[in-house]
Amino acid sequence: MGDPATSAAPDTAARFLCRLSDIPDGQSRGFDPDGTGRDTMFVVRMGNTLFGYQNNCPHYDRARMAWKKDQYLNADGTRIQCAAHGALFRIEDGVCELGPCLGKTLARIPLLIRSGLVCIAQIADLTEPGDSPPTR
Amino acid sequence: MRIIGPDELVFGVDDIAACHDFLTDYGLIAGADGRYEALDGTAITIRERSDDTLPPPLRTASMLRQTIWGVEDQATLDAIEAELSTDRTVTRHADGTLTCIDDCGFEIAFRITRRRKLNLPAEMINSPGAAPGRAPNVIGANEDAEARPRTLSHIVYFTPDMEAMSKFYIQRLGFVVTDRFTNTGPFLRPQANLDHHVLFMIQTPEYMQGLEHLAFHMQGPTELMLAGSRMVKKGYESFWGPGRHKFGSNWFWYFNSPLATHVEYDADMDLHDGDWTERETAMSAEASQMFLFENVDKWSPGGGPPSDG
Repeated sequence: MGDPATSAAPDTAARFLCRLSDIPDGQSRGFDPDGTGRDTMFVVRMGNTLFGYQNNCPHYDRARMAWKKDQYLNADGTRIQCAAHGALFRIEDGVCELGPCLGKTLARIPLLIRSGLVCIAQIADLTEPGDSPPTR
Repeated sequence: MRIIGPDELVFGVDDIAACHDFLTDYGLIAGADGRYEALDGTAITIRERSDDTLPPPLRTASMLRQTIWGVEDQATLDAIEAELSTDRTVTRHADGTLTCIDDCGFEIAFRITRRRKLNLPAEMINSPGAAPGRAPNVIGANEDAEARPRTLSHIVYFTPDMEAMSKFYIQRLGFVVTDRFTNTGPFLRPQANLDHHVLFMIQTPEYMQGLEHLAFHMQGPTELMLAGSRMVKKGYESFWGPGRHKFGSNWFWYFNSPLATHVEYDADMDLHDGDWTERETAMSAEASQMFLFENVDKWSPGGGPPSDG
């Protein structure tokens, strides 16, 4: 947390979420990295590519999207689905294709995978040489 | 017209297994043919969205396919058929059910209600100055209580034309306005039901048309809290509540659902009759609820400070 330019070293490090193997391919998982007591973000895995978004439907502020813990996708796993009113979002860019927030976009959270560990990318991480490229 | 309230809501869903888990954990009783019943027989019915026996879908994300209204008797059905046949096709099916489309494109149906008359105790409380609600030695905090929805309470539509929609239900079907949020919509009750509202509507763009939420009545606030807490414990996503609304006075707790609508527990709604004068206020967070809480993990205070500091 904090501004990487001014805070101490630990704060600039990527924030660990889980192991890549903790998220089965084609599935989603919610996370609460700030310990708020509710999942504030979620990750969708498509092959070895991960997509991270804030758990906040653009329809209403504070509208969480799963219908049950970790359940953010439609039945065939082709779209992110908000369980408030069924809005469907493209997994790759978070754009709403159908539903109350048509045309709006989920707020993305940049992720990276290091040695099989899934982390929230910090600004410093995105410029470090030698890492795998950040996922979308 | 002696319309009682929503008898059954029919959905064409994306994920039957998810809906089954949700509706049974919510407390409805799984019956035959995709029906999930409350104690009085009012129900949610789910089918695959591709099922061609369903009425056609809205062209939105909504999975609601039909709202079935329960009425008191055949005379009411006949009156509805006569009234609505003047400007639309009303189909009378073999079982007597009437189907048609309302003035905003929602598929609706009417039938003699299948509600079973309930004879169940209210939540009983002890209040100083009043006669005890519970006899001595009768325990109030029963964590094992079943906490099942008693009856389908109300539905709230997202409608692209609130004016046309409210006129249809008020002028054509005799619904009565109990209260009104300015520029949002009226709370409506039909003539054979004293509940503050069985129908509410919210004006939205066309691409949002559908169901905002549905609600079932619980025994009382304690049962609502118990049922909602169990849902949270099972991992379901609380959307809003618990709290208590102002208009209607009902306690509420809303959850996300795989039916693409919020599903609410409600309890202790006001009743109104013809002597009531409607109230109106601007919709706001302040106007919509008397108070609002959020579930947190269980915790309890101990006797002293932690020994390890």
